[in-house]
Amino acid sequence: MVLEIRNVSKNFGGIHALKDVSFKIQEGEIYGLIGPNGAGKTTMFNLITNIFEPTSGQILFHDTNITGLKSHKITEQGICRTYQNIRLFSQMSALKNVMVGGHCRSSSGVFSSVFRTKKQKSEERGLTQKAEELLDLVGLLEHKDTLAENLAYGQQRRLEIARALASNPKLLLLDEPAAGMNENETDSLYDLIKLIQSKGVTVLIIEHDMPLVMKLCDRITVLNFGEKLAEGTPYEIQNNESVIEAYLGREEDVEIA
Amino acid sequence: MLADFINPYHLQIASFILINILLAISVYVPLSSGQLSLGSAGFMGVGAYTSALLTIHFDLPIFVGVLVGAAVAGCLGIIIGIPSLRLSGVYLAIATLGLGEVIRVIFVNWESLTKGSIGLTGIPQMGRELLKLARNVGIEPAMFGLRNNQFVYLMVFVILLILVIGTIWFVFRQQNSRIGRSFSSIQMDEKAAESMGINITYFKVLSFSQGAFLAGLAGALFAHVMGYISPSDFSYHRAVEILIFTVFGGSEVIIGSIFGAIFLTLIPEVLRFVSEYRYIIYGIMLVILMAVRPQGILDIHLLSKFKRLKRSKGGVR
Amino acid sequence: MLLEQFINGMTLGSIYAIVALGFTLVFGVLGIINMAHGEIFMVGAFVGVMTTGVLGWPLWLAFVASIVVTSILGYLLETFTLRPLRGKRGVSHLAPLISTIGVSILLENLSHHLFGAGNKPFRTEFAEMSIEIGSLTIYIVQIVIFVISIILMIGLSIWLSKTKAGKALRATAENLETASILGVDTKKIITLTVIIASAMGGIAGILVGMAFNSVSPQMGLAIGLKGLAIIILGGMGNVKGAMVGGLILGLSETFLVAYGDSGYRDAIAFIMIIVILLLRPQGIFGSKIAEGR
Repeated sequence: MVLEIRNVSKNFGGIHALKDVSFKIQEGEIYGLIGPNGAGKTTMFNLITNIFEPTSGQILFHDTNITGLKSHKITEQGICRTYQNIRLFSQMSALKNVMVGGHCRSSSGVFSSVFRTKKQKSEERGLTQKAEELLDLVGLLEHKDTLAENLAYGQQRRLEIARALASNPKLLLLDEPAAGMNENETDSLYDLIKLIQSKGVTVLIIEHDMPLVMKLCDRITVLNFGEKLAEGTPYEIQNNESVIEAYLGREEDVEIA
Repeated sequence: MLADFINPYHLQIASFILINILLAISVYVPLSSGQLSLGSAGFMGVGAYTSALLTIHFDLPIFVGVLVGAAVAGCLGIIIGIPSLRLSGVYLAIATLGLGEVIRVIFVNWESLTKGSIGLTGIPQMGRELLKLARNVGIEPAMFGLRNNQFVYLMVFVILLILVIGTIWFVFRQQNSRIGRSFSSIQMDEKAAESMGINITYFKVLSFSQGAFLAGLAGALFAHVMGYISPSDFSYHRAVEILIFTVFGGSEVIIGSIFGAIFLTLIPEVLRFVSEYRYIIYGIMLVILMAVRPQGILDIHLLSKFKRLKRSKGGVR
Repeated sequence: MLLEQFINGMTLGSIYAIVALGFTLVFGVLGIINMAHGEIFMVGAFVGVMTTGVLGWPLWLAFVASIVVTSILGYLLETFTLRPLRGKRGVSHLAPLISTIGVSILLENLSHHLFGAGNKPFRTEFAEMSIEIGSLTIYIVQIVIFVISIILMIGLSIWLSKTKAGKALRATAENLETASILGVDTKKIITLTVIIASAMGGIAGILVGMAFNSVSPQMGLAIGLKGLAIIILGGMGNVKGAMVGGLILGLSETFLVAYGDSGYRDAIAFIMIIVILLLRPQGIFGSKIAEGR
């Protein structure tokens, strides 16, 4: 079991953002987290990476309890994320962004950084090389010296994925990676995520693009108003009465409006 | 003759410029991790008083006093830095400004130790001690064709220059490493930096206390260059002056702090002929600069333009 | 004795509150700290000294003159230092800080030039008059200061909550973009805010001059720093916080001088903010903002 969410709830000043949610993610899966806006998906990410602590419940990573562990420790353990609103280091080059991602897999301190010890030099070379490989993987190697803020939107999303991968995650959390992408970009995103999976990384993805989710995910959990509505394979989810109601009901509303 | 070129007055201004560069860097380093600290004047005072008192009362050598002074300021930086983590932006600026004021008021009121607002006199002067040392080894200023006071000012300048170059080298190398990348990622997006596995607490306190250490170092050197210090040397005005060095020159790059310190130390000297109006001009200049170049004179874009210019010139040749 | 100190503290505190209100209004609407506010306040005090002392005008006219001069200064400050920085690329929170510091240096040295470095006495016809109630001595000046401050605070509160312009100001402080979508002329509101804040500084200048019977170019800094401490204490941009914070500071300073070590009087403000920042960084009345996406 890579990740186990056990009866997790989160209240914000009396409002239930999440209510008693549980699910388990197996090794090597691509796991989808879907639901209407405000269903608590991003809150779930924030709880896993401990930006907030859950009001109750536990989060287990490889069967160890990581609830309440500091964010940077959680990354060290092997969980890394991207953000729904892209949060790159905008004034840094693409390469440096990815190198920051490798922070917790390197160890040079002040002394060795200033005096450029042998170990520090080889570590920097290793970091640079790995960052270039990752940029190549997401197709941004030719832009490695471009400042992050000057990249196109789709490129920024891919850079964020490369940055997260630089921390050698065992579990990668993607928050709406296809948002704002056109069909071609979405197709190559599909290939990229499959490639990441083939390298042995488990993926938990929040996404609104349903065709992509159904094609990509091995299993899916549906959240609605902070509660778990359903869990299953894409086929099961597509044929689940309450999911159809929650989704189609809304879509009809939209069409009428 | 060497002696004809050495003007003690110019050397003294040059020494003040060097001390001011250290102070400007003491603001730059915390700022590179996104922390706006106005506490440099306070930390400077702690370094100055610590070193002065140690050398006066315990006859410690100056360099020991300076090191201890800087270390005490650095430790205070750690102590202040940890609770200050909860603050950001202008909150941190005002809190650190307040800290500086509290330190100054303590200097004024702890009369048994600090002699109150009159300040400390008779602090061993670096130049004179060096002259004594040189004579003990059998070196006389006359051997280089220098008068005693020329030798004294020259030695002070050289020592400060070495320290400043060392500091710049240190900060520059640190900036281009894993440490520097962590600082700037925290500055650009603290939450994202943390989720990339960066221990925010450690790196913020590290940069804050490095700044405090540098300010303490500058303060201790200041005490041994001047020979006397008083609480008013470390007041609000000093805090603001130091901040202006950094922001005026350009707070994004270390060269900006250096440039700001040099330029703004020289300006009042150059404006001596309008001495009465110089601070009025200084004020107007700040307003105009911020309106035209809010990021300061030097920034990354300007520097990369320079670099390209140099490269293209080289290409023509 | 205790009651007398309490009255002294309330008088001092109400002046501090007025100074702090000037800071807090500008911070609330523009999100910047106006480092020149203390100096605008000092200019207001000098206008008072000059009009009453040299020209022999009555006190009420001195107030009018001071309000006019500081309002003009506020307008100039907004037009030449704050507006050029708004909405410009690459402007950090450092730029307005430095820019307004520039103005404060300019004003302080200009006053130094025009009025000299020393303290100027501020004479009022009722400076020495006092009322005795039993063993209690209350100076008329104190009553005047207190009453004017209270009127000003109540007036500002009513203006902010009841009038159209006041509501527009609060909307702008809440969210500048939303306010401008809702049809608020935010440019006008911002200018108005800076002018009102400056005019309040002018009034506070005269009140301080009366309270201490002394005005100098350096007073802007001394009182300005306390104003800054108060808005941190009460919560940045919070009107009620500025008032309560001012009174708390005035009372604690007075009692420290009366029963403790007067040497540390000027440090209290900052010791208080350091403590409050550690316990409750958002200030007594401030609210917390969480970040998540």
